[in-house]
Amino acid sequence: MFYRLAGVYHTTYAGERKLWPVPADRWQALGVLALGLLAPLLVGDLYLSSYLLPWLVWTAAALSLTLLMGVAGQLHFGFAAVMAIGAYTAIHLTRFGVPFEIALLGAGLMAAAIGSLFGAAALRVKGLYLVMATLAMQYLVDWTIINVPAISGGAQATLQAPEVSFLGAPMTNDTVQYYGALLWAAFLTVFIMNIKRSAFGRALVAVRDKDFAAAVIGVNVFRYKLLAFFTSSFLGGVSGAVLAFCYYEAVTPEQFSFDVSIQFVAMVLVGGLGSVIGAYLGAAFVLLLPIVLTNLVAGLADSGLLTISQNLQSHIPLMAYGALIIAFLLFEPLGLAKIYDNLRNYFRVWPFQHTRN
Amino acid sequence: MAEAGTDRAARGEAVLACDNVSRSFGGLQALKNVSIEIGPGEIYGLVGPNGSGKTTLVNAVTGFYPPNSGTIRFEDRQIAGVKPHKVASLGIARTFQNVALFKGMSALDNILMGRHVHMKPRALASLFYWVWAEKDEVANRRQVEEIVDLLQLESVRHEPVEMIPLGMQKRVELARALAAEPRLLILDEPMAGMNQEEKEYMVRFILDAREALNLSILLIEHHLDVVTAICQRVAVLNNGEKIAEDAAKNAMSHPEVVAAYIGKVATPNSADAAHVG
Repeated sequence: MFYRLAGVYHTTYAGERKLWPVPADRWQALGVLALGLLAPLLVGDLYLSSYLLPWLVWTAAALSLTLLMGVAGQLHFGFAAVMAIGAYTAIHLTRFGVPFEIALLGAGLMAAAIGSLFGAAALRVKGLYLVMATLAMQYLVDWTIINVPAISGGAQATLQAPEVSFLGAPMTNDTVQYYGALLWAAFLTVFIMNIKRSAFGRALVAVRDKDFAAAVIGVNVFRYKLLAFFTSSFLGGVSGAVLAFCYYEAVTPEQFSFDVSIQFVAMVLVGGLGSVIGAYLGAAFVLLLPIVLTNLVAGLADSGLLTISQNLQSHIPLMAYGALIIAFLLFEPLGLAKIYDNLRNYFRVWPFQHTRN
Repeated sequence: MAEAGTDRAARGEAVLACDNVSRSFGGLQALKNVSIEIGPGEIYGLVGPNGSGKTTLVNAVTGFYPPNSGTIRFEDRQIAGVKPHKVASLGIARTFQNVALFKGMSALDNILMGRHVHMKPRALASLFYWVWAEKDEVANRRQVEEIVDLLQLESVRHEPVEMIPLGMQKRVELARALAAEPRLLILDEPMAGMNQEEKEYMVRFILDAREALNLSILLIEHHLDVVTAICQRVAVLNNGEKIAEDAAKNAMSHPEVVAAYIGKVATPNSADAAHVG
């Protein structure tokens, strides 16, 4: 199973625990980052603000959730509510004239406080019961936002995000919005990877894998579950604020409904539980694949290759999308991250395939 | 030997002293007034048939099933009813009957996890890994490598634990317990399911570890050859009661112990029963 790449020798303990211990992976990551930075020059405005930008924000949300669901193993089916708390907090704070940077922090803290409050109650139960408890959070938060005019701005209301600037750059500019989302996604990527390679992350994984064995080596199981809820909700809250200011520019309760929570869970599951690259791939799958499928079917219908009714034309993508999710979970339960890993291993040892496994 | 232990305890030197510990689950009395004392540096054996309460006693000590009555003293502290993670930070480590490793981690990470009470795990420290956590990680890794060296785990350190053979997994679990630098080590059947060679290795590692780390050890084991070979004293439990406590060899031939293990022999003279065993 374990082998070294030719020519890669670690001589220090710190070197072995680098973010990317293999130089090839490091160059690859740098390349992707460079592409991300140059994207405003490379792709058109439409693609930038309606594909790349939401993908980055959804990835950030999936990364926040995968810390809780994948690394710490606590299921959360109300993550959209956490993001809603962050989004509404940030908008109200900026409306009161609080600088955007501090409003982001406030959004995170508010989401973390309410999130861990529910977490503390929910963590007395495990598995499916935890799912039910977090679902309750989704509905309670939804109901509160809709029915308290001070928060939602009235029934059926849309709250406009005020014009703010982040570190001097105006957040109404498309390019600035894109870079804001990119910065947040990159920050989260490094944060989650750092958590996974340090004592805090190991303790979370220990609690996930065997809580009694974790307790016997000194891990306060409840405290770490709660810390996972706190950290993940904090990041989710900030992601919600980033979503509101960088993408929607206005918030309504429907943007954070139960459907969205399920989408986040799907991203984390399809991507691969606890995987950083899985969050990117999962978000792309859940967010972009329906669009690709719709365009594909519409294109086929327009070109006359596929003669079907308008009605069916709009349903086929949904069916195909559902089938694809099931297929992925059947053939690779560890998600897209595992598929990526298999591919990487294939090319790493090619053509000496016997060295695999 | 038994008298020597009691003397040490009387002078307050016992590392672990359980006094009249009782624990019941519903109507089942799993432990009935069990008292044991483990002296410093001692390897104390705990044997008895299945269901006799050995693991329950260990669970009472480590805080999973606090005793209904009786006291447990570790060094100078009362630990009856203290939560498991607190017990661990006081200096008691244990292994489990069925290997309880963290499946999602490598052997190395499992052993590093044993250093938990000596590390400062914080989310913020992880965020600023390079200036905050890295030093801690490297320093603890150095400690872990000492244990890896002691238990000869070099070849499997980077393997995922579920991929390595059972004998090695048990060794990794021992390493994880030792990494916490405990003063009392509780081993719950460390040799279950092992062949003769693996058993001999394990015994050697346990003796080495005791010497290197200055440990007292409570050993639960069904392999009586191992128990008689390395334990100074042995307590025998049956149906939740301590039926004998003596130097290892003597305890094994105690008539009640023989009766508990292989049933009562219908002879009027109990000395004959001992002879059968």
